Amino acid sequence: MASTSIETMTTTTAERRGIPGAQFVEDVQTYLTQLGLDVNSALAFLQERLQQYKLVEMKLLAQQRDLQAKIPDIEKCLDVVGTLQAKKGTGEALIADFEVSEGIYSRAHLEDADSVCLWLGANVMLEYSCEEATSLLQNNLDNAKASLEVLIADLQFLRDQVTITQVTIARVYNWDVHQRRIRQATAAKDS
Amino acid sequence: MQQEQGGKSDTEVTWEDQQNINKFGRLNNRLHELLDEIKTAKETNDNLEDASNELILTDEEVIRFQVGEVFVHVPNDEVESRIEEMKEATSTNLEKLEEEKGTILAQMAELKKILYGKFKDSINLEED
Repeated sequence: MASTSIETMTTTTAERRGIPGAQFVEDVQTYLTQLGLDVNSALAFLQERLQQYKLVEMKLLAQQRDLQAKIPDIEKCLDVVGTLQAKKGTGEALIADFEVSEGIYSRAHLEDADSVCLWLGANVMLEYSCEEATSLLQNNLDNAKASLEVLIADLQFLRDQVTITQVTIARVYNWDVHQRRIRQATAAKDS
Repeated sequence: MQQEQGGKSDTEVTWEDQQNINKFGRLNNRLHELLDEIKTAKETNDNLEDASNELILTDEEVIRFQVGEVFVHVPNDEVESRIEEMKEATSTNLEKLEEEKGTILAQMAELKKILYGKFKDSINLEED
């Protein structure tokens, strides 16, 4: 299969998170001879690559959406813990209306709340002091933001590879059309 | 978008051109994200504006102020200052986003000049 030779050729371009880099083609003719492919199989190979890139892009976009939803959630939690802490030591109770069930609210008096319970996931909830909860949540928030940054960089890299591949497809195609025209012109001259 | 069209072009595409095309694509993506972000920031701003207007009209001493999922009872004046703070934060954010939009549009115009200059109508950098 031609893919082995292509693999060795792409080693020059960087790879990121298992996403292979797209090779930039200097000259279409040389590219095709190097691969030993005709135009159609080269185009088919490039299209397949493009599909693979698109698939990865969808995965990364889903991850991005998850993270982007997670960040405001954590910020909300931090807000609540902050509100509890602000009331602490004032001697006043924090009065809050909370949802018991959908559309049904009840009133809570929270006096000197020292701790909160954080839902850690996997059916586990742990009690933390407000300070600990804040630092844990802050930590989670920083982590989420850092992962989002890495993810965005990955996406950018991926999109560059998509663009390179699209341009290469267009150029291989154009080159082929051009070659055909030359052949036609010479054939017309000969006859 | 940003694909070459037609078969008449013989212009060589260099690595530099490719990088410019990539950059253009990236900027275009960011621009779309920014437009979304600006839209949500504006909405937040409007909502906060509405909230502070309602606050002026009301006689209630204690306001139910949403924190996370619950409504905390907060005195009127404290809510006012909280909303002011939030308004300030969103408008600074909005300014920052608008500024980024400006730089991106300028960079894109620059790249368009370069790429159209070289490839003429063999390249299309416009949105459909």
